[in-house]
Amino acid sequence: MSTQDTLLSVTDLQVDYQVGASTVRAVDRATFDVPRGAIVGLVGESGCGKTTMASAITRIISDNATISGGQMVFDGTDLVSLSERQMNRLRWRDIAFIPQSAMNSLDPVYTVEYQLNEVLRGRGGLSRRAARVRSEELFEMVGIEPGRLKDFPHQFSGGMRQRVAIALALALDPKLIIADEPVTALDVIVQRQILDQLRSLQQMLGISVVMVTHDISVVAYTCDHTVVMYAGKVVESGRTADLLRTPVHPYTMGLKNAFPDLKGAEQGLLTPIEGAPPSLMNPPDGCRFASRCPFALEMCRSVDPALMAGQDGHAVACHRAAEAPALRAEAVKYETWQEDA
Amino acid sequence: MPDYVATAPARPGRFRRFFSGIRLPLNDPFAIAGLIIYAVFLLTAIFAYQIAPYDPTEILYSESYDLAADLRPGEEGHILGTTSLGRDIFSQIIYGTRSALLVGSTAAVMVALIGTVVGVTAGYFGGWVETVLMRLADIAFGIPFLPFVIVLAAFLEPSIWNVVIAMALVLWRDTARVIRSQVLTLRNRGYVEAARISGSSDFRIILRHVAPNVLPMSFLYGSIAIGWAILTEASISFLGFGDPQSISWGYMLQDAFASQALSRQAYYWFVPPGVAIILVVSAGFFISRGYENILFPKLNR
Amino acid sequence: MTQAKAIISRLLQLLLVLWAVVTILFLLFRLMPGNPMAAYIDPTFTAEQQEALMAQFGLDKPLWSQYFTYLGNLLQGEMGYSFRYRTPVSERIWALLPNTLILTFSSLIVAYIFGILAGAWLAWRRGSSVEKISLTAVLTTRAMPEFWLGMVLLAVFSFWLGWFPAGGTRSPGVEYSGFWGFYTSADFLAHLALPAATLAIYSQGLPLLLMRSNMLDVMKEDFVTMARVKGLSKWTVVVKHAARNALLPVMTSFAISVGYQLQGNVVVESVFSWPGLGRELVLAVSASDYPLAQGAFLMIAVVVILMNLVADLLYAFLDPRISHA
Repeated sequence: MSTQDTLLSVTDLQVDYQVGASTVRAVDRATFDVPRGAIVGLVGESGCGKTTMASAITRIISDNATISGGQMVFDGTDLVSLSERQMNRLRWRDIAFIPQSAMNSLDPVYTVEYQLNEVLRGRGGLSRRAARVRSEELFEMVGIEPGRLKDFPHQFSGGMRQRVAIALALALDPKLIIADEPVTALDVIVQRQILDQLRSLQQMLGISVVMVTHDISVVAYTCDHTVVMYAGKVVESGRTADLLRTPVHPYTMGLKNAFPDLKGAEQGLLTPIEGAPPSLMNPPDGCRFASRCPFALEMCRSVDPALMAGQDGHAVACHRAAEAPALRAEAVKYETWQEDA
Repeated sequence: MPDYVATAPARPGRFRRFFSGIRLPLNDPFAIAGLIIYAVFLLTAIFAYQIAPYDPTEILYSESYDLAADLRPGEEGHILGTTSLGRDIFSQIIYGTRSALLVGSTAAVMVALIGTVVGVTAGYFGGWVETVLMRLADIAFGIPFLPFVIVLAAFLEPSIWNVVIAMALVLWRDTARVIRSQVLTLRNRGYVEAARISGSSDFRIILRHVAPNVLPMSFLYGSIAIGWAILTEASISFLGFGDPQSISWGYMLQDAFASQALSRQAYYWFVPPGVAIILVVSAGFFISRGYENILFPKLNR
Repeated sequence: MTQAKAIISRLLQLLLVLWAVVTILFLLFRLMPGNPMAAYIDPTFTAEQQEALMAQFGLDKPLWSQYFTYLGNLLQGEMGYSFRYRTPVSERIWALLPNTLILTFSSLIVAYIFGILAGAWLAWRRGSSVEKISLTAVLTTRAMPEFWLGMVLLAVFSFWLGWFPAGGTRSPGVEYSGFWGFYTSADFLAHLALPAATLAIYSQGLPLLLMRSNMLDVMKEDFVTMARVKGLSKWTVVVKHAARNALLPVMTSFAISVGYQLQGNVVVESVFSWPGLGRELVLAVSASDYPLAQGAFLMIAVVVILMNLVADLLYAFLDPRISHA
C-alpha cells in the first residue's frame, strides 16, 4: 500500500546473516508502512529481527549480513537499489538514528559540540556561526542548557545523553528517525520524560519515527501504529489502538498480558508466554509461533500463514484470524497460557 | 565445613584441575609449530653429546696438522665451518641449546613463581600487605633490567645463573601486577566471599578457588619469560660478562664479533647462533599467543 | 580537585622509587666489592686525591653517615671521579647523555610512526594472507637479539655495501660547528642511521601489534557504527574516530617504551661503538670503574623512572574521560 501519505513502504524485505557455513534469515519477507508524521512501533522479543529490520533501513548492518530481497520505498525511491554513495547522501539528512545507548554511541574523545558540527557543517554545509545557532536551538528543543555544548559525553547523565542523541538526530531536519530502544536503558520516570519529549518534537516537526522496542507499554504510550515481529516475520500490524483493543494474532494477545501498563491502570495477573522462539538456523515449516501458541491447530504446524491485510490497514499472519473475538476471550484467562493447556 | 557452600561448579580431582589449568593450546597451528620447535631443541639439548660431532671447546687440527680455523661450511666435514680458533661451529650450536634452555626454563619458573605468589598475596589480602607489595613492584619497575644485570656482573662470578638471579629479583613485576588484578576480579565473584563467610581458611580458599583461575596466567607469563631470559643471557654473554666455560649462543656471537667476523663476511659464524635464538624465542611467542587466545578468546581474531 | 591529588600522589610515588633505586645502588656498590671505599677510591689515585674523596664522601665515617653524605652529593650532582678517565663522573655522564637520548628517541619515533601506520593498515587487512605473513614477520623481529640484528646490518650495509660507517658518531677529520652543528651534520646522521635502524626494527613490533589490536576493538564500538550512520566519509570514520581512539594507549606506551629502549641501547651502542651511557656502563663495569658504573646506571634509571611518570600523566591528559572527570 503506497499512497502519498506513506513515507516509507517496506515490502517483502529479507536480511540474511552468514554464520560460519550456514545462512540465517533474520528478517523474512517483512512488510509494513510508515505514514508521514506518525510514530510506528516495531515491537517483539529479543532476536525477533526488529533491530536488524530497523538497521536495514539505514543500510548499515553487520559485515556478515546482506539484504537479500524486497524493497524499501522511501519517498519514492527504493533504498535497496541505491548505490552506497547515493544511500550515503540520504543518511542523516533524510534518515536519522537514535541509538539504544548514547554513552557508547558518542565518541568519548570529542565534545558534544564537535560531534554536532560534524553533521551540521560536514554534512549540512552550515557556516560556523550558523552551526552554533542551530546547535543551541537543538539543545533548547531537547531541554539541555546550551552552555553544555562544550562538555564531553561522559559528563552527561544517562537521560541527558539520550537527549543529546535526540538533538543529534534532529540536526539536519530528517524526514524519518529510527529510534532503537531509545528508553530501554533509562529508569521509568526518565523514560516517560524522554518519550513525551520525543512525541512533542515529532508532532511539532512532522517527522516520522520508527521506534524499535520490546516493551509493549512503551508502544501503547507513544506509537500511532504498531508492527509486531516474531522470529523474523511480521505477524501483525496496524493502528496501535486497534491492535491493543482488538488484537488478532495470539502473540499480540500474549504480549498484552505480559507487560505492566505504563499508565498504571488496574492490572490483572502478569501472564508470561512460556517457551522460547524457534532457532532461525532451522526455522520450522509451519507458523513460527505454533509451538508456543495456545490456539495452534495441525494446519498451523505445517503451513506458514501469509500476512493478510484487513480493514483499516490492520494486517495479520494467522490461520485463525477470523476467530479472533473468541480467541481474545480465552486469551485474557491466565490458564490459557499455561504449558499443559 | 560443608563442601557445597564454598565451592564453585563441578570440581574434578586435583590433578585434572591442574592439567586443565595448563590447557595446552593445541588448536593453533602456530602454537603447535612452537611446541614442535621446543621439542626439537629440548631433544637436542638432552642428546647433545650424541648429536654433536665434536666437543665445542676443542681446538681442532686438520690432517696436515694445521689449525682448522676459519673453515667455510662444508669444508673438511664441518657442517657450519669453524671459528678463528678452530672450533666446530655446528657443535657449538648444539651445545648452546643446553644453556639456553636451562637459563630459559629456570628463569621462567622463578619469574612465574615469584610473580604469582606476590600477585595472589597482594590481591587476596589487600590492605597494607597489598600496598607494600605493590610499592615493591613499582620499585622493580624503576630498575632498568639489562643495566642491572651488568652491574651485578661487576660483583658476581661470571655465570649463566646471574641472569636467573637478576630476573628473579626484578622481572616478577609484570606477572605480579597482572595476577593481582586477576585476583581482584575473582574476589568480586560471589564464591570467594561465600567461602570466607563459611569459615574456610585463607590458604584453602587460595588453593581451591584462586589458584586454578590464576595458574593459566602464570603459565602465560612464564612462557613469555623464557624468551626474555634467553635474549638477556645472549646479550650478557655478548657483552663479555658470560661464563666463558659454557658455550652459549651469546658467547658465540661475542666470539664472532671480537674476531672481526663482520668485516670478514664470515656469515656462517654469526648467523646460525642468531637464527637459533630467533627460533626458540619465536616458538615461545607462538605458544604464548596460542595461550592468550585460549585465556581471552576474542571473536574474529 | 581529585586531579591535583592524583598528580601529587604520582609524584610521591616517583620520589619513592627514585629513593629506593638510589639506595639499592648505594648498598650494592658499598657492600659488594667487599671494601666500601672501593666505590670511590682507586689505589692508583694520588694521596691528595684519595684524601679529598674521603672527605667529600665521608668514607671514614660509619655506613649510615656515608649514606646521607651520598644523598647530599647526588642532589648536587656529585658522583665522584672516574678511575679510568680521571675526570668527574658527572662531566662524563652529561656529555654522553645526548648521544644516548638522540639514539633512543630517533629510533623510537621512527618505530612508532611505522608501527602505528602498519598496525592500522593490518587491522584493515584482517583475515587476509598478507596479515598472517606480516604478523609472523613482526613476531620474528621481536625474537631476535638486537645486537645480532645490528651485526647483520653492519655486515651487509657497512662492510659489504659500504653505504654507512661502521661505528662511532663521527668520522675522523670532519669539522663541526659547535654542539648543534655536530648533531645536525650529515656525517652524524650517517653514523646514526644503522644503530637507529637496528633499534627501530626491533621496537616497531610493539606499537604495530598494539595499534592493530586497538583498531580491531574500536572498529566494533557503537560510536564507529554511529559515525557511519551519520553518513560521514570513510576517512572521517576510520581516522578521526576509530584511529583517534585506538591511538590513546599507543601514545602512553611510547613513554614506557623509552624505558625499555634504553636497555636495548646498551647492546646496540656496544655493537656500533656508539659513545652513549649504555656502552659506557659496560666499559666501566669491565674495568671495575665503580664510580662511573654507578653514574651511568643511575642516569639510565632516572630516565626510565621519569618516563614511567610521563606515561601515567600522558594517559590522564589525553583521555577526556580522565582529564575532564
